[in-house]
Amino acid sequence: MGKVFKIALMGVAVAFFAWGCSKEKPQTDPEPKADPVEAPADTTLNLDALVADTLSADSLARLEAERLEAERARLEEMINRIMLEDVYFDYDRSDLTENAKRLLAQVAEILVNENRFIVTVEGHTDARGTEDYNISLGARRSTVVREFLIAYGVDANRLLSVSYGKERPKVQGSDETAYSKNRRAHFRVSIDQ
Amino acid sequence: MNKIKLLFVFVAMALAVPAFAAIDTIAVDVGISVFNTMPIGVVPFEEEGKIKWANEAPHLILTRDANLSGRFEAVNSDKFDLVLFSKKRARQYVTGIATKLPNGKIKLDCYLYASETKDVLLGESYTVKPYDVRQAVHSFFDKVVYRLFGERGVASTKLAYVSKIDGVKQVVISDYDGFSRRQITRDSSINMMPVWQKGNKGLVYVNFRKQRPNLYAITFGGKETPLFTQFRQTFSPAVNPKTGELLFSVTDGGKTEIYRGDMKTGSAQKFLHLKSNQVSPSWSPFASEVLFTSDRGGSPQVYAVGKDGTDVRRITYMGHYNERASWSPEGDRIVYTSMDDGKMNIYTCALDGTDIIQLTSNAGNNEHPTWSPDGKLIAFASDRGGNYQIYIMRKDGSGVTRITNGVENTSPTWSWFFDEKKFK
Repeated sequence: MGKVFKIALMGVAVAFFAWGCSKEKPQTDPEPKADPVEAPADTTLNLDALVADTLSADSLARLEAERLEAERARLEEMINRIMLEDVYFDYDRSDLTENAKRLLAQVAEILVNENRFIVTVEGHTDARGTEDYNISLGARRSTVVREFLIAYGVDANRLLSVSYGKERPKVQGSDETAYSKNRRAHFRVSIDQ
Repeated sequence: MNKIKLLFVFVAMALAVPAFAAIDTIAVDVGISVFNTMPIGVVPFEEEGKIKWANEAPHLILTRDANLSGRFEAVNSDKFDLVLFSKKRARQYVTGIATKLPNGKIKLDCYLYASETKDVLLGESYTVKPYDVRQAVHSFFDKVVYRLFGERGVASTKLAYVSKIDGVKQVVISDYDGFSRRQITRDSSINMMPVWQKGNKGLVYVNFRKQRPNLYAITFGGKETPLFTQFRQTFSPAVNPKTGELLFSVTDGGKTEIYRGDMKTGSAQKFLHLKSNQVSPSWSPFASEVLFTSDRGGSPQVYAVGKDGTDVRRITYMGHYNERASWSPEGDRIVYTSMDDGKMNIYTCALDGTDIIQLTSNAGNNEHPTWSPDGKLIAFASDRGGNYQIYIMRKDGSGVTRITNGVENTSPTWSWFFDEKKFK
């Protein structure tokens, strides 16, 4: 007898609770009525949340992939920025011009903060002169740049230098315009895995 | 009387001025010879059976050999012509008989005659495949040189150089006259600075496949080996003509220095202990001294040093850029490239740097001179025709002849004699 009463009481309680809930809803949600357009949006949002709940593992992976992709794009953008900027030199010189120092400071800033990059500094010369002497000149240029970056705080182990002499001109031609573009140090960037 | 005297002086002066001007240009102008070349008659071979020559008929090969040699001047005639040969002072002539054999080979009987008496001074017979006719005729020509001069000719020698093939610099070899070209490297990076190993067994050259300059050795018909891998960047190889050991430049920490190394063991030691950068070593003919370029004076200049690396002395003083010196096989002069106003030209000078002679001028850039092993000729690269090609000239700058064509050919290095043993 007492058991039946208990169940009945619970039933009433549940009914009451349910009524209470349903009664509360119109009270706390007056806006949908004022703006009926919002209502369908609300339901789709719930649907999305439901989908997100059920596929949470996949979604996380996708988000992670997106994050990596964004990171990769960011790095790529940085790499491109470094690789686009060449350091130019005067004829038969391997000392840094003021412009070159300003540019190198920017590159150094990136490299100090991003310690995954391994950078090869390529030294190049213009077409004038012998192959042999130009390799030694290109070597001096690449070394001057490398040493500047090290002095700025970039890890020496992440900086290699190499000379191409006059073998890889950026611009073809035998006038000062072409020569001045070819007397350069170029950065080749790879990412340490 | 006085009037006549005055007139005489005037005429003498008038004559003297252009004479001086002419002398002045001998050292500078290309094509004015101070060589005494010997006329030699060249007559087409008699042909038994219709012969289709692989590239050129033998008398044309002989004509080219004679004119390139720096020793002769060919006097061509369709048949033996004593009047012409006498007039041109061709006291000897070369000709022969070519016979087509049933097996497809060609028999060449080559003769050197005395023009006046028709005495045979030299007779050689070769039986070769059509494609090897060139080689046989070169070989005969070298025997002619030996018969008449008592010296070895260079018609059988070869050149190694860099040829741009499909946009990539590749090392190739060819006969000294540019024929029979053969590609040696087949790599997609950069190949450059070829030099001949002792005994012409193969080449040493620079390759960039590791994205830096490194020396490699290749044996003809054999394999390629990386050299001196203990160094990151190596270039400027020079082979010791007596021992085969190598001098080369090593770049480390921005400084470029010359090392001396053994190709077989791979061991290498620093050759020079100088503060300056050093490139382009070159051995003297008997390997007792070495030429190299240093920027110790602020600009690249040529220096000489003993084979033990001591007793450095400066050779070049004129101009601000003197590089890639090479010692004449005759031992008496050096040839080098000098840059003035952005243009490169080839000069020779005595061993103490005096008696400078400009061999090329007003004809584009001229660089990378290399001596023929007999010291009579210099091969070099020039862009005088628009793009870089290989040329041969006599050691006085005369007789400039282009021997390559194609996209771009640079950095020639002449082989050693191929018959070193026979003449030892």
